[in-house]
Amino acid sequence: MGVIGDLLAVVAPVFICVGIGLLWGYLRKPFDNEIITSLVYNVGAPCLIIATFAKVKISSAALGELALAGVLCYAAFALIGGLVLRASRLAIADFLPSLMFPLTGSMGLPVCLFALGDPGLALALVYFMLGTLGTFTVGAAIAAGRMSFKEILRTPAVYAVIVAVYMIVAEVHAPQWIVNTTSLLGGTVIPMQLIALGRSLMQLRVAGVGRSTALGLFRLVLGAGVGWGVSVALGLGATARAVVIIQSAMPVAVSSYLFAQLYNRKPAEVAGMVLISTVVSFVTLPLLLYFVLHAG
Amino acid sequence: MLTDIAAIIAPIFVCAGIGMGWVRLGKPFNTEMVTEISFNLGIPCITFSTLTRLTVSPAAFGEMAVIYIIATVLFLVTGAIVLKLVGLPLTTFLPGQAFCNNGNMGLPLSLFAFGDTGLAYAISTFVISSIGSFTVGMGIYSGRPSWGLVWRNPIIYGVVATLAFMLTGTKPPQWLANTTQMLGGVAIPMMLISLGVAMARLKVAGFGRAFGLSVMRIGMGFGVGLALAEVAGLHGAARGVLLMQSAMPVAVNNYLLAARFDRSPSEVAGTVVVSTALSFVTLPLLLYFVLG
Repeated sequence: MGVIGDLLAVVAPVFICVGIGLLWGYLRKPFDNEIITSLVYNVGAPCLIIATFAKVKISSAALGELALAGVLCYAAFALIGGLVLRASRLAIADFLPSLMFPLTGSMGLPVCLFALGDPGLALALVYFMLGTLGTFTVGAAIAAGRMSFKEILRTPAVYAVIVAVYMIVAEVHAPQWIVNTTSLLGGTVIPMQLIALGRSLMQLRVAGVGRSTALGLFRLVLGAGVGWGVSVALGLGATARAVVIIQSAMPVAVSSYLFAQLYNRKPAEVAGMVLISTVVSFVTLPLLLYFVLHAG
Repeated sequence: MLTDIAAIIAPIFVCAGIGMGWVRLGKPFNTEMVTEISFNLGIPCITFSTLTRLTVSPAAFGEMAVIYIIATVLFLVTGAIVLKLVGLPLTTFLPGQAFCNNGNMGLPLSLFAFGDTGLAYAISTFVISSIGSFTVGMGIYSGRPSWGLVWRNPIIYGVVATLAFMLTGTKPPQWLANTTQMLGGVAIPMMLISLGVAMARLKVAGFGRAFGLSVMRIGMGFGVGLALAEVAGLHGAARGVLLMQSAMPVAVNNYLLAARFDRSPSEVAGTVVVSTALSFVTLPLLLYFVLG
């Protein structure tokens, strides 16, 4: 099979699903983003979290280590991103959330799953959950100018994380009916999110190409650099290190665009960042994977 | 045993329950979109992904398909005779007797009861009943057969692609296996949620008659399945899947077709809702019989 086959096995499912989403939009087939998002957030994601942690054997130490790495990465994104924006005289409220919170869900999860199997997915979910919490609190606070903790309590995935962490710490095994049900429902999350991603890329209205390109590329470089730095600093093992680097180097999240739209923070330029960083990551992702998985 | 049965049935109840709850909470649900996604993407992918990972030989898969064709013919003949005897119109009620819920209910049941082997057998019966429903079933509702629709049924492409790999004796490359497995994962939960949505939305008429027809669907199905399993000498997963798939409730698709050709849709809806509700009682018994 070789390296190309291995990389293709990881990247192709992501590209194909995004492509299906693009095609879906192009053919004007019915697609209701609100329903899909609602299903994914309220039903699918909590189920995926519980199903994955019920299947994977993971120690609470490994879990804590990845959570620490995640927090450090997000903090470094905020710090470096903030400094660079300041230095280039750009508004932090407009662009920092997009630099801080990458696409760890729809793209990061399948890449980690196919590259590293279920243990990779479990660790990637930890990083993703931190990002989700961060987006709703810190991200919203930066864009809106105020913090909202209510949103956290209304995120079902938070409760799923609490249950999953309890299962790991107390070494409780979920009964088979819960495993069956949650793995069935959790299986919708990744493909539906990827199709939704493709479809949203079709609909983005982009402006300010020069600046979006620079910021989009900056996100990818910043992500890869910070992810690498943090995993070296913490001396992470192979799987955790790969997860941290992959998740950190994801493109700008579509949710950043939704926030920018909601609070009117230059949505068209953020859309450009989303589009450009996603398209570029289709090229950089295989290279990054090669580096992370094969080059030591 | 009880926990085994719970592990098999719970996913179906919970997913259908989510669909019903969704409607009750007044949340929007776009059935057309969900059907398009599960029918055009999910079903062909789960077919391909399951059959190429196959733990079942092509011969056994084909045998199950042939047996299920015979089962469907027997459903049609028996159903037609009984409906004639009680004086009910065949054009309204016969397809519901022949084409049952092999997809959204039968696939997960077979998967959780017999693993991937069970799922492979279940897909074999589902291919037959899906094609049958859109040709023979639709023909009965509309008054003329519609064979051309065979080629518009996306499950066919899943089967053809599988055959290409099976006959050349090659394994699909990992990227294709990963992609289809991931997309195939959408089919069952989406179909179950829309089953729940349909249950909550369908307007039921003629409860008594619907009850009689539901008992007949499940009872006749079970009888035919049992007889065929004996005759064909099936055992294990093959026998279990044939029995379960034969005794499934009336498929939601019948309601959609009845509505399209104006064959008393609310009466057909009644048979869908009542037989599905009834199956929540008969399923545990059926599983007990099949696994015991």
